Amino acid sequence: MSILEYNGAAIIAMTGSNCVAIASDNRLGIQYQTVAMDFRKIFRMNDSLYVGLAGLATDVQTLDQLLRFRMGLYELREEREMSPEVFTNMLSNLLYEKRFGPYFAEPIIAGLDEKNMPYLATMDLIGAISKTKDFVVAGTAEGNMYGMCETLWKPDMEKEELFETISQALLASVDRDALSGWGGVVHLITPEGVTTRHLKGRQD
Amino acid sequence: MSEFTLAPTASTAAPTGFSFDLTHRNALIESSSSTSSSNIPAKLPKALKTGTTIVGLVYKNGIVLGADTRSTNDTTVADKNCQKIHYIAPNIYCCGAGTAADTEKTTDAISSQMELLRLNTHSESRVVTACTLLKRMLFRYQGYISAALILGGCDVDGPHLYQIYPHGSTGKLPFTTMGSGSLAAIAVFEEGYKDDLEEGEAVELVKRAILAGVWNDLGSGSNVDTCVIRMDGSVEHGRNCVMPNEVGELRKKVRRSDVLNMRSGTTAVLGETFRKRMGGGVTLEDVVVTEMET
Amino acid sequence: MGDSAYSFSLTTFSRTGKLLQIEYALNAVSNGRTALGIAAKDGVVICTDKKFGSSLVDSGEVRKVERVHEGAGMVYAGVGPDYRVLVRKARKSAQSYHLEYKEPKPITQLVKSTASVMQEYTQSGGVRPFGVSLLVAGLDADNTPRLYQVDPSGAYFGWKATAIGKNYVNAKNFLEKRYQDDMELEDAIHTALLTLREGFEGEMNGGNIEVGVVGLDGKFRVLTESEVQDYLDEAN
Repeated sequence: MSILEYNGAAIIAMTGSNCVAIASDNRLGIQYQTVAMDFRKIFRMNDSLYVGLAGLATDVQTLDQLLRFRMGLYELREEREMSPEVFTNMLSNLLYEKRFGPYFAEPIIAGLDEKNMPYLATMDLIGAISKTKDFVVAGTAEGNMYGMCETLWKPDMEKEELFETISQALLASVDRDALSGWGGVVHLITPEGVTTRHLKGRQD
Repeated sequence: MSEFTLAPTASTAAPTGFSFDLTHRNALIESSSSTSSSNIPAKLPKALKTGTTIVGLVYKNGIVLGADTRSTNDTTVADKNCQKIHYIAPNIYCCGAGTAADTEKTTDAISSQMELLRLNTHSESRVVTACTLLKRMLFRYQGYISAALILGGCDVDGPHLYQIYPHGSTGKLPFTTMGSGSLAAIAVFEEGYKDDLEEGEAVELVKRAILAGVWNDLGSGSNVDTCVIRMDGSVEHGRNCVMPNEVGELRKKVRRSDVLNMRSGTTAVLGETFRKRMGGGVTLEDVVVTEMET
Repeated sequence: MGDSAYSFSLTTFSRTGKLLQIEYALNAVSNGRTALGIAAKDGVVICTDKKFGSSLVDSGEVRKVERVHEGAGMVYAGVGPDYRVLVRKARKSAQSYHLEYKEPKPITQLVKSTASVMQEYTQSGGVRPFGVSLLVAGLDADNTPRLYQVDPSGAYFGWKATAIGKNYVNAKNFLEKRYQDDMELEDAIHTALLTLREGFEGEMNGGNIEVGVVGLDGKFRVLTESEVQDYLDEAN
């Protein structure tokens, strides 16, 4: 078992028409023992930028703190919001700085860019960026999530259909993964604002 | 006091200034699993690789570089259309194989140094310079930065093609291939390469070499990217110039079952909140204004 | 640096509350060749002349308008070698910024970091202030053309148009009369050259004038001798 699977996680992000959604499960475990069912794995960076971190829980929380710190500094210094593109590069450098002693976390970045177009990116634990136009997944249920997304995703979904699609992809994936689950949370990012919904899921 | 006397802080350090803060912790995590006293898992995760086919050749009037576009994480395809031809200078490009982050960051760092050099000397970059900077950096890290590179470009001295191994050894060659698909690709080159090829012939040969990797090496796949760098300074990118694995059209023909369209209300929701976009600031319209008591 | 008891700052307040070293540095600036700049609605122009004491100097090897990164450049009035130090530092900071964020360093950030370096040299031990004022041209994060002046004290100002160095008062008066809010870059280049000619002794040509421009495409460029000559010919 890899250290990335120590606490368990499942995170998906998907694009729709002028919107993006990012979803995660709620479980925090220590291998097969569940210790929390309300563990936060998706973090709000600004109005239209969210980051999901799958991996070792301690590193997930450390990274969130570091990102908030660096972003806060940037926004005070430059008096403007950080674009998703810039954020991705900053996070990538943050991870690559620890190339020979990495944080055990794989990030997913979801947001809307300056023109309100969907932006999705993911990277490995040392910051190799990969940008996609459809969906990205990370966590212990990765294989399952890839399968669900390849099946359910289609281009230009409106926000309500996007919500149902990402939710069903997540729930079906975590139900076949012992290390993730216990319900989930979905953030729907639109130009008007962000809708956050908590999903009912299996409790086993 | 002075910026010369202070060590650079983490936020200002160049990305090659590695931090080893977590290496000891990670080594403990790795070792504590082999001693059976703890249950913490052993295997440390692997980074993204570009199990790759990259090639380059010198032709009559310049350089042609080529690469596939698959990036893998173990046996999973992590990115079906990534870019492996990296910018070094307006007249120099570099194909990268190995650990994805290493090839990306190494070429970025060297490209930055090349630009500084260009600005400070008011002259065009030379391929040897890029090659030397790359090999010095890779040698300094003793092969731990796993970037296998094919560097090509045209400068005052003519077209140049270099092959750079992760340990820092280099070779200057008329044609070469690297990555997991290098054997398949070199076979094509050995059969088809001639000195002073025409541009069209050269590009076709590069495409065939990459396709040999795409079909015969599992670490390589998807599309072919090419990059032609000519002696007159012009550069032509053939991003996805061959796309033999497009499934989009085929997928469109498949009648998508209505079962796969998720209708509103399918998912059980426990609660919902909405957070209005503030655009980085709050205006008077967003708050309740009450008059101040005087 | 800074640890020794004897290496205290040269820039020490006088009893009247003045920092004389900074004022002397400003004198060095106003002795320097005139440099000026204009921010038009679709770009910025900066220019200066390069006139030397001797006709034997190879003016082709002297560069006063320098590019800092793809979309920004600067020019100076004052002590040449001091300027080169600042240019190198600015270029390096622009590169680190680009590596970190993969975005060109916005002109305001470039000015702030360069100004910080200049301020540091007014308060550090064993150093003297820079004997230059800079004009920095480029685009801001929201793509608006900007022109900044940075002084030896580390103070910086944004301008629509300004001049530094010898005769800067006259040049600024001239610019005040000529500047218009809806000016286009081409007009600005002409106005800049006309202003420069006011205080110029002898004949201006492509060889003794340097012009740098940045348009809305975000590309800063130092004009070639023949391009400058063309603008001068048009102005006649």
